[in-house]
Amino acid sequence: MNERVVTLNLNGRRARVRVEARTLLSDALRHELDCKGVHVGCEQGACGACTVIWDGQAVRSCLALCPQAEGATIETIESIATAGGNLHPVQRAMREHHGLQCGFCTPGIVMSLVAAYRSGATADQAKHDVLGGHLCRCTGYANIRSAIDAAWTERDHG
Amino acid sequence: MAALVGQRIPRVNDARLLCGAGRFVDDVDIPRVSYAAIVRSTVAHANVTRFDASAAGTAALVMGPDELARRVRGGLPVLWVLGDQTSLHTPVVDLRVKYVGQPLGVVVASSRALAEDIAESIVVEYEDLPVVPDIEQALAPGAVLIDESRPGNVLATLECGDSAADTSVVFGSAPRQLRRRFHIGRLTGVPMEPRGIAVVPDAHGKLTVYTSTQSAHAVRDGIAEVTGLAQHRIRVITPDVGGGFGLKDHAYEDELLVVLAALELGTPVKWIEDRNESLIATTQARDEIHDATIAFTDDGRLLGLQVESWRNVGAQLSIFGGGPLFAALGMMPGPYKWQAVRGVGRLVATNRTPTGAYRGFGQTQAALIREHMVELVARELGVDPVALRLQNLIGVDELPYTNRAFITYDNGDYAASLLRARALIEREIAAVATPDDGRRRGIGYCVYVQLAGVGPSNINQMLGLHIGGHEGATVRMERDATVRLYVGISPHGQGQETTFAQLVADRLGVAIEDIELIYGDTDVTPYSAYGTAASRSIAVGGGAAIVASDRLATKLRAIAAEMLEANPDDIVLGHRRATVVGTNVAVDLSQVAERANQGFGLPAGITPGLLESHQYDPESATFSYATHACQVAVDTETGVVEVEHYVVVNDCGTIVNPNIVDGQIQGGIAQGLGAALLEEVVFDDNGQPLTTTLLDYLLPVESSIPQIVIEHIETPSPYTPGGMKGMGEGGTNGAYACVVNAVYAAVPEIGAVDCVTPLSPSRLWSLLHEASAR
Repeated sequence: MNERVVTLNLNGRRARVRVEARTLLSDALRHELDCKGVHVGCEQGACGACTVIWDGQAVRSCLALCPQAEGATIETIESIATAGGNLHPVQRAMREHHGLQCGFCTPGIVMSLVAAYRSGATADQAKHDVLGGHLCRCTGYANIRSAIDAAWTERDHG
Repeated sequence: MAALVGQRIPRVNDARLLCGAGRFVDDVDIPRVSYAAIVRSTVAHANVTRFDASAAGTAALVMGPDELARRVRGGLPVLWVLGDQTSLHTPVVDLRVKYVGQPLGVVVASSRALAEDIAESIVVEYEDLPVVPDIEQALAPGAVLIDESRPGNVLATLECGDSAADTSVVFGSAPRQLRRRFHIGRLTGVPMEPRGIAVVPDAHGKLTVYTSTQSAHAVRDGIAEVTGLAQHRIRVITPDVGGGFGLKDHAYEDELLVVLAALELGTPVKWIEDRNESLIATTQARDEIHDATIAFTDDGRLLGLQVESWRNVGAQLSIFGGGPLFAALGMMPGPYKWQAVRGVGRLVATNRTPTGAYRGFGQTQAALIREHMVELVARELGVDPVALRLQNLIGVDELPYTNRAFITYDNGDYAASLLRARALIEREIAAVATPDDGRRRGIGYCVYVQLAGVGPSNINQMLGLHIGGHEGATVRMERDATVRLYVGISPHGQGQETTFAQLVADRLGVAIEDIELIYGDTDVTPYSAYGTAASRSIAVGGGAAIVASDRLATKLRAIAAEMLEANPDDIVLGHRRATVVGTNVAVDLSQVAERANQGFGLPAGITPGLLESHQYDPESATFSYATHACQVAVDTETGVVEVEHYVVVNDCGTIVNPNIVDGQIQGGIAQGLGAALLEEVVFDDNGQPLTTTLLDYLLPVESSIPQIVIEHIETPSPYTPGGMKGMGEGGTNGAYACVVNAVYAAVPEIGAVDCVTPLSPSRLWSLLHEASAR
């Protein structure tokens, strides 16, 4: 078995994991590193549910092998907030605007939006370019657009 | 009363989901679990002649069709029996392969990757049979039979509405008629979380099953039938479920293979469906042909509607059999007054994936057929399609109204929804200047009545459905006056953790955070044959919760009255207190609950404890309705359709939480729009599926969906406690028809012969070119 030891800066802590070389980053995060908020919806890069922030960029973790992330700084949904703690403005707006239903695609959408929120992207870019890269089957997207408007208003005028 | 019902309360369970702390089936930690992969047929029609796992090596277990068949005690039930249908079960394993993706065997190994490697190493040999790829070839003379007991590949013929004789009287004397053929594309529901199951046997012969399902009890019942285990030995638990849309309404064959493997090993086994499997082996939907004829007068009176239909059920009937076609024909009359409506439907077997329930359950197709025919009449007569509808709608004073399929609608104002929708779409269009961009624009409408809140049980039985239409709830107040509400319905995005708490908190005088919804556990929660499906959770499950809560409230008032030396009728529950009306004489509910649970000094006739249960069987189904209207812009150079404006005027009775109702409408519209413009499952002539990734099967994305204007009419149901009507599927019904109608209004030349969906860019481009060549 072709195994590798991979070292990540994961959610602010150093993490070492031994995986088969062929292991997807998404599977390593979920099954070896207990980041179960990384959801796997297609394993084809189409849906975006597995999105994490990799060295500041939103990335689909199902499209990378875990060893490719050697030395990378990876943030997963677990690092953004805890359910009992202070939600990120994106998460708060998603809740207030009913931007989620079943919640399976939600962590990936939140991660892409958090990356855009930090990067200075405009609300229009977030609504169309960023959200446009995610599939959600429940909401029809309209309420997520409303959430983006609210979160970005807070960022820019808050 | 705090009047939580009707408030836009943010959902109580969202923080968890937003922080990645949801617990979906693949997130459930199970000690000593091993992983399954399913061996599936790669051909559409064949006899399996060899299943050779000799190269399997390190697998913990491989079971092929022979080993599996020896352990199977029964088939999976088909719960709806219609017309001359003979099939009451479907096999879990079969050496006769009838579609690509049919499960043939199961492999269990220490990791999922290893299990998949081993599954690929298994050699399956087939003796090919001629493939029946579609309805036309299934019905062709001499076609090979998929079920040899059914001539012509027709698994059942069913009728609905007026008799042939009565219908021919109406059509015989009708001044005018129009015909159209409808091709309804094959779809699939695509929940973002695929299916999955984890099976945990214990040493005492009990099986605990975690699975991504809409209906824990339906899964339990399926496992019991197939394994022969007693029902109380099977505990099915639904963790968080990432969407269902009708697809996750039963136990599937491949899931049963995982159960059989876990029983064989005596240790836990997990299987998580991947997206490729989800797109070939999870039930699909629609795939129908309808020949519709409408009869009308020169002055625009609608007289009759006749529909002859063929539904491609795929290789075998799934759990609800021909139900979607029956529902389509039953709700075909919609909101109009007719003299005759008749439907004849045929369930056609082909070598495709079985079709089953999907949001709308046939009513989506009914809305398109009826509303498209009505628009054709308007075009033929040169009259405004809204005016034509208004002329024929069932009036407020005519409700309750029994339609031509003997379904009695409850109440509402259909014309008001249409008139308001017209005003709104005209306002939206006028608000922005229409660009002069060469695109052709059209407006489409759909008025529908939705059969929701399905029951009562006796009607289900009359209709050949083998499950009742009731729902249960148990409400239990703890000593500190917090409440647990046990229900048979189970949320997977619909937010019942919040809406049911709103219903019950008002009645018990507690706060919303005092209530916990307990669902999806067959050891604990009331029996529900449906779980959450068929737009019935809030109407029927909510009805059960209301009745049980009202009983508990009566008991609380009696005990509080004793404590306060007052009359029970004068006790008001609210703000976690029981108060003598018009006074400040009060006692904390926690004190009342403590006394009830102690059993000390209770009034005569009041038993200790605070627990009430009710199994609610509705007096009638409920009928939401709505008008949807939209404007589309068609780029004739590319075939791309943009939905520019969209409005809805909806009446689902009492609205418990407008956020959630609007969210259901928006999500339903996205799915209806997808069916109209994008989504299609495609097979080739060999029965090979061609749409096996989400890059091939096109779902609506953010840019597909316009901002949607939603208004409500609120006409409480006279039948359900609380007045809710159920509405989860309605958005799908309205959007599909109104978007298709808008495209045909923009480019009517494509509708000269047939109405075809989806109107994907490539199909629309071809239709436009064919039309210009004519």
